[in-house]
Amino acid sequence: MNGCIVAFCCEHSAYPAADLAGRLRLHYPESLRVIRVPCAGRVDVIHILKAFENGASAVLVLGCEDGACHHITGNTRAKERVKYCNMLLKEVEVDGRPVAMFNLSPNTPHKFVRAVNEITKIIKESGR
Amino acid sequence: MNSASRIVLVVGSGISGVASALELANAGFDVYLLEKEAVVGGHAASFPCKATDVCSKCSACVVSDKIKQAVLHPKIRLLTNSAIRKLSGEAGNFRVEITQQPRYVDEERCIACSLCTEVCPTDPKAVYPPPAEGAPFSYILDEALCLHFKGEKCDLCRENCPTKAIEFDRKPQEQELSVGAIVVATGFDVFDARGKGSLGYGRYPDVITGLDLERILNREGCLRLPSNGKEPRNIAFIQCIGSRDEGHGYCSHVCCKYAMKLAGLIKYQVPDTRITIFYIDLQTAGKGFAQFYEEYKAKIRFIRGVPVEILRSEFGELDVRFEDISQGIVCRDTFDLVVLSVGISPGKNSWDLARILGINMSNDGFFDVADPLSTNETNVDGILLAGACQGPKDIPDSVAHGIAAASKAMEILSESVGRRVTG
Amino acid sequence: METRIGIFLCNCGGGMKNIDFDAVAEKVARMPGVTCVNLVSHLCLDEGREKMIASIREENLDRVIVAACSPEFKEHIFRQALEDAGLNGHLLAMANIREQCSWAHEGDVTEKAVELIKMATNRARLLQPLERKELPVNREVLVIGGGFSAIDTALHLSRLGLRTTLLEKEAVLGTGTGEWQSLHGFDNSSMTAAVEGDRNIDVLASARMTAAEGTIGDFTVTITREGEEISRKYGAIVLATGFRTELAPTSTLKLRTQAEPISGISIVSQEQLFHMLHNSIVEAKPRTIGFMFDFSDENSRFPTLTTLNNALAAKNKWGSEIYIFCKNVKVDSEGAEKLYREARECGVVFLKCETTPRMSMDNGRVAVEARDVFLGEDTVIACDLLVAEELLLPIAGTETLSSLLNIRLDSRGFYQDENVHLYPVASEKKGVFVIGWCRGNLDMGRVLTDISSVVMSVHGLLSSGKILVEVERVKVDPQKCVACLTCIRVCPHGAIQLVRVDGDKEVAGISDLACDACGICSAICPAKAIKFQGYRDEEILAQIEAIGES
Repeated sequence: MNGCIVAFCCEHSAYPAADLAGRLRLHYPESLRVIRVPCAGRVDVIHILKAFENGASAVLVLGCEDGACHHITGNTRAKERVKYCNMLLKEVEVDGRPVAMFNLSPNTPHKFVRAVNEITKIIKESGR
Repeated sequence: MNSASRIVLVVGSGISGVASALELANAGFDVYLLEKEAVVGGHAASFPCKATDVCSKCSACVVSDKIKQAVLHPKIRLLTNSAIRKLSGEAGNFRVEITQQPRYVDEERCIACSLCTEVCPTDPKAVYPPPAEGAPFSYILDEALCLHFKGEKCDLCRENCPTKAIEFDRKPQEQELSVGAIVVATGFDVFDARGKGSLGYGRYPDVITGLDLERILNREGCLRLPSNGKEPRNIAFIQCIGSRDEGHGYCSHVCCKYAMKLAGLIKYQVPDTRITIFYIDLQTAGKGFAQFYEEYKAKIRFIRGVPVEILRSEFGELDVRFEDISQGIVCRDTFDLVVLSVGISPGKNSWDLARILGINMSNDGFFDVADPLSTNETNVDGILLAGACQGPKDIPDSVAHGIAAASKAMEILSESVGRRVTG
Repeated sequence: METRIGIFLCNCGGGMKNIDFDAVAEKVARMPGVTCVNLVSHLCLDEGREKMIASIREENLDRVIVAACSPEFKEHIFRQALEDAGLNGHLLAMANIREQCSWAHEGDVTEKAVELIKMATNRARLLQPLERKELPVNREVLVIGGGFSAIDTALHLSRLGLRTTLLEKEAVLGTGTGEWQSLHGFDNSSMTAAVEGDRNIDVLASARMTAAEGTIGDFTVTITREGEEISRKYGAIVLATGFRTELAPTSTLKLRTQAEPISGISIVSQEQLFHMLHNSIVEAKPRTIGFMFDFSDENSRFPTLTTLNNALAAKNKWGSEIYIFCKNVKVDSEGAEKLYREARECGVVFLKCETTPRMSMDNGRVAVEARDVFLGEDTVIACDLLVAEELLLPIAGTETLSSLLNIRLDSRGFYQDENVHLYPVASEKKGVFVIGWCRGNLDMGRVLTDISSVVMSVHGLLSSGKILVEVERVKVDPQKCVACLTCIRVCPHGAIQLVRVDGDKEVAGISDLACDACGICSAICPAKAIKFQGYRDEEILAQIEAIGES
């Protein structure tokens, strides 16, 4: 997968934020691959692990702001799953493959780009 | 379209107008959504998300959500660049004459490919994309900047448009709409801070208004000083600018909350920024605010008393003079950015619209209600009010008021149908 | 059967210069199952759509990929084109090669565009059609509460032809609302009379809801009245239960009871003062009255409004000297600033203090000692009557009702989670609404707005007796479901219940009307028994598999 970043984007927040980033021509690394989901709560551990199996260098789960999820608890469930994945990856000693959850709002293109840049920086620092 | 009793005209496409139009359209009414600008959304569309680690309940995301739904709704027809000229008839059967200024870029045909902007030779560009949050996503041609309208031969954009969406020879269009009810949702203007000259707005670049700050944060995602592009270290917010004074016998409802939430956001982005809020009374009521207030109290310095004068020192710092009431002394402090929390003023064109529609104005300059217990209804049966054109409101209150206006319109129209059947 | 996939590439009139569309077309045409690749200049306009429809028919396509701008704004147009061509609209997958590819990057992004299309194609192969159906809903509404907002809601709904039941725990309607009702000029008796004469409104007094089952359009509610249980069915439920007040703990002196004579020493509540002013004969007019608010609870508007109204009434009726001790005057409601000015103009004194004043008894009067911020010194004022600070609280039984209906409370214990998407009157459960004071402390204007909003929402849902929805979008496989109840527990919208299938087996069943299509259940189901059409595991994993293939 040549070190792609897979981003699961909630259609209520991160997906429109990514669109806005495009509209404003805010650039971010090309290695990002967005998968649109109806809610961050739809993202399961298997989806994240599959991305790594396919060679992704990082996975982002992007959902609504804490306390503003369209489905009330979807984003908190996603956060728990991300935490669990990190634990799992550590346990099987697959290091340096970060999974991160970010919360944003549909009108925050800058925050979207910051999230992508942040994870890119983490990947670079881990030397992958 | 159906008979007039199934059609509603919503005047103004800010958040309350959009909320009202959406409710009516979902209830099966055909809706004309009239907007004087080229894009829908009004003030609230330009506000940033103020979330820190948690949502701060500013509701800015609700606005973008609702605008998107309204633009896509098959029962809502947008009339941008439009204004009402004349009204006749009565509830259940109004006739409204409107004038629509030419758009030059056809919003149905524009696919936002940006080729027109690329070839436009003027600086700044005469044809440009709508603001990021604005909808419809159709380019805007500014007559005042366009060489074609200055008599020159340029038609590069028209030539290069792949969908032939640009037409220079469009003329203002007049049309008559038959509608059963009218929802007036024309919103507000912010108080012009130049009216308080001693605070230096317009003279000192680093004295900005709350609205300016909202827009900077929305556009840039972070805050820099307008004068030198550096990160501000020490910020003052001054409350009640254009609220609760001689000319404004009301509280604007929004400023305390937006000031605290913006301060919270700035503190979140740059934790060591110092923030002071000068106030008269803190308005911290409202659902969802209690949990934040304690946090703000710990992070922000609050001073009771509103400064009356700001001077600029030779080093470019802003010297704010105020009376610290709790100490009983007159003090001064310097800041590198001062935000004037400007309040909500009645819309500048309210009088004209009130005259055309025959609706009353209150002493404060907002549209008046017939009965203080029913804030949607005007003196004219069938004309309803929604949002801040009736009085200051925050986003959730505007949405609620818009829905309430839709509800009243629906009741009026179902009654007028009933009357005609029985009578 | 082999799928016949058609790919429609839109170059947006030439606006995406960093993508080589011919190269893209050539590469994606090689994917298995791809029948045709069409390069169109502007697919979203009528001419583009017509080409698309013609091509779907000609090539007999059964899956369509649109590689163009973001689905956010144009997906519905393309879905419609599929429908027009005789294909189910859900057999469409979009690749966002404009906003999230061409515009987001500077250099050549042909490779990325190809990959995005491959992802969409992989997903499209697995997509299945979704059907839309009109499902019936019960048109009756249950309104819980017997105060102003409950009654007014019922009256409005009745006028629009919807039948309601008013469920009141007290023996008669309109109790507990007297204070503010008259403050704002409402006539209690005429409203209750209107209810009695309304054939669309059924009143169940001295009754409580003791169980609730079902989802929007089909709630079964158990009501207990005088030991007797009644079961009724409703399409929607509106909570309008109001609030209660309690003396703030900062008011350390005991509140006098109503049974005591009106004269004598007094610390009273706002409501008691109101009755003294309007209903009772007062032996000796209090010469000095003190009010306190905004110390224990700084987030309520209502105390400011009641204080201003009561203070003005007392000034007018008794000519008393009035001192108001508060931290901040809450004037962010309609007309409040005007009342505040009026009060000051007629001589009401406001003493703003940062700390809670101390109170003591002094010769039958209440001495209030406060540090006024403006004077900067301690002031002692002896009051004949002190109106204590009150807290606005949810009524008893709020938690019980919320757990019966499975809806969340906010951080102060009122109904409605503090989620901006629910404001003004929705709960996270479709068909259950919360209005007025029971969802937080509001002012009268906002309560009236709530009533209108809920009337609009309820009417929109129930008036036609049916709702058009996509059926079986999220569906439980009864063969795989082991009835572990996990999905029922996690569904944020209360859309899942146990249902009986094949004779006696109980499995989870999702109500199409109540489901909001988030997919939380399908992610959490340990048996992987829940399929969310369009976002099934297979569909998501297939997209991931396409990444980095080329």
